[in-house]
Amino acid sequence: MPSQKKPRLLWLQSITCNGNTHSFLNHPDLFSILSYFEVVHHPVLEGSYVMEDVIAGKVPCDVLILEGSFKEEGLKKGGVEVSSLIHTYAKKAKHIISAGTCATFGGIFKQNNPDEISGFCFDLEEKTARYSTYASKLISLPGCPMHPKWMSYVLLMIANQKKIAIDTLHRPVELYGYTVHTGCTRNEYFEWKIDVKNFGLKEGCLFYEQGCQGPYTRGSCNKILWNDVSSKTRAGTPCFGCTEPHFPQTSLFSTQTNMGIPAKMPLGIPRRAYLTLAGVVKSFKIKRFSEKLLEYDK
Amino acid sequence: MKKVQIKQLIEKIEGEAELDFTFNDGLIEDVKINFGFYRGIEEILRDKAARDALVITPRVCGICNHAHLLSAVRAIENGYENSGIKIALSSKANDIREFTLACELIQNHIKWLYMTILPQLEAYVNQRSEENYAIKATYLSSTITKAMAIFSGQWPHSSYAIPGGVTCDPTHLDVIQAQNRVDESIKFFEQVVTGLSLDVYLSIDSVSNLHHIKGDFGKMLHLMGSHGLAEIGQSYDRFIVFGECMLSKAGKSIVTNVSNVDTRYVEESIQEGTVAKAVTYKNRLYEVGPLARGMVAKMPIVKSLHKRYKDSLLTRVFARINEVALLLEHTKTLLHKLQLDEPSCTLELNEKLYEFEGTGVVEAARGSLIHKTTVKEGIIANYDIITPTQWNLSHGSTEEQGIATKAMVGSKSIEEATFVFRTFDVCSVCTAQ
Repeated sequence: MPSQKKPRLLWLQSITCNGNTHSFLNHPDLFSILSYFEVVHHPVLEGSYVMEDVIAGKVPCDVLILEGSFKEEGLKKGGVEVSSLIHTYAKKAKHIISAGTCATFGGIFKQNNPDEISGFCFDLEEKTARYSTYASKLISLPGCPMHPKWMSYVLLMIANQKKIAIDTLHRPVELYGYTVHTGCTRNEYFEWKIDVKNFGLKEGCLFYEQGCQGPYTRGSCNKILWNDVSSKTRAGTPCFGCTEPHFPQTSLFSTQTNMGIPAKMPLGIPRRAYLTLAGVVKSFKIKRFSEKLLEYDK
Repeated sequence: MKKVQIKQLIEKIEGEAELDFTFNDGLIEDVKINFGFYRGIEEILRDKAARDALVITPRVCGICNHAHLLSAVRAIENGYENSGIKIALSSKANDIREFTLACELIQNHIKWLYMTILPQLEAYVNQRSEENYAIKATYLSSTITKAMAIFSGQWPHSSYAIPGGVTCDPTHLDVIQAQNRVDESIKFFEQVVTGLSLDVYLSIDSVSNLHHIKGDFGKMLHLMGSHGLAEIGQSYDRFIVFGECMLSKAGKSIVTNVSNVDTRYVEESIQEGTVAKAVTYKNRLYEVGPLARGMVAKMPIVKSLHKRYKDSLLTRVFARINEVALLLEHTKTLLHKLQLDEPSCTLELNEKLYEFEGTGVVEAARGSLIHKTTVKEGIIANYDIITPTQWNLSHGSTEEQGIATKAMVGSKSIEEATFVFRTFDVCSVCTAQ
């Protein structure tokens, strides 16, 4: 957009750990992405206004990025309720991006005060009273934290004036149409129902014992890798479902089962279909899967 | 005598803080440090499965989440050991944990140098360079977190350390890629940060050799020296370190006298007017962080600076950047000696314990981080987190002002005092968990 004025970008934090801020700082193309915008204020990067101007409500804003859980009362900056700042800038903005699970659904900090803390437009998966006011300009990027490339996708789609296709929770379908399971390097073990024998092994799937939520968690962590190199499941860590409305649940390192079968099925798979396939694959013993993937000479 | 009170919002630290300054006859006589919002992580952990702490505690802090993970896993392991289950980490698991923690510290220190200290220093002495320091910060921090994520799966918010080891089982291919990222980081440190080869930098052991340091670090030292900042910002000259690591042994240092410590004597208390809790050791305040580690470890260059400038702003700032060099060299060594044929996790999957109490300590970027967990019937009955910034930023007691407050007292202006404040590498989210 050569002759147009750059959209003005405001990154505003409420109840947060700053994890989305630091996640985004890992983006290898950070400054070329930001060059499409005028950064009016950001928690750590230079902006054209200081926090006091933001608090005074006088900063221009076209794109509002929200980080952190929402609470109507009790969190103040410079004597002003953060919720009122969010409303001020959400009204001005043409686009609102809720960065991370806290801003989107309430996230981890909701658990300390479930009645008063929520996401900005969703409370878990339910719409908040604010939803109808802001829905037309809302993009959700859940994840604890959100992936830096998910954010850059949204920002550049906005900069290029393209429409972002979203689902009912306002998540971009290009990012959340997949499950975390898609692209997992342990997929072969999933297909053949081979569980991992302990943590710290290359062989085996983490879905059966170790609590992996990848098959029913939306997100592209195994398609667009973390820090450009890996993902939780590739590093042998179960997916904890951090993009989902109810994150974090409990007993995160073990799979709940009914009669030895995972209690929660892969996304959209009927139990009967799962059991039929499991019955078939378990009736074969594949030698390769009982062996180490690779061994070093002693 | 004329007393004046001024409130000031401090931003671009990890979050924000509000400082209430009391001036007396033009000099700062007291400062109250207030943080915004208590998120209640300790309460959130209650009634959850013991291992859920490995997922939940990293969410205390977006910049030092990995230190929280390692404190949490050590607390569980310590609990197991207290109950008679031996945890014998393989050297592989131990080295990988040390490696990833070192990467996180480097990331922290470099962001602080380029995104806090250099721009704030230039603003304070009114010599703005218009340089994009953030691009340098993020280049090095994203390079080193990449090295880390090869093992931890991601950064921020990994949960790859588990009781008995780590979840990853790396190959030589992984190690070589991590080595490339470390080499790239070292090259950056040499060419951009110091203008010296890492070996030459590490041979600097006295104040008289400091002028050899060039690059952005050299520029910073020069700006501080030429604007009379070398001797301001002194506190009580009292330091404490609880975590054993390559940077330091555990111990406390008073003036220059080093002695042993025990986490049993650490006490937390609620403070009025802020959601952050204060913390003391045998009822006394101590400074934690890189300067504390340098003093307890008797690091030659830190001791040399301390001899001339005491626990001043310059000594404190230097100790932090200096750790980047030590850690970079250490990460290289760790990768080199990594024994890939050892097990990643030595604790059997079904070895589970339902009643225990344990303490985990880690030297995080800003100092000692302590987690204490009490588990009953497999669930967390109580969880305590004591963060480094609680030590440095407390209001103090009736007898003594807090560590950072003491360092700011006597300043002539709010600008001077807030610059001193930032040399503690303030993290508001950790302080008010």
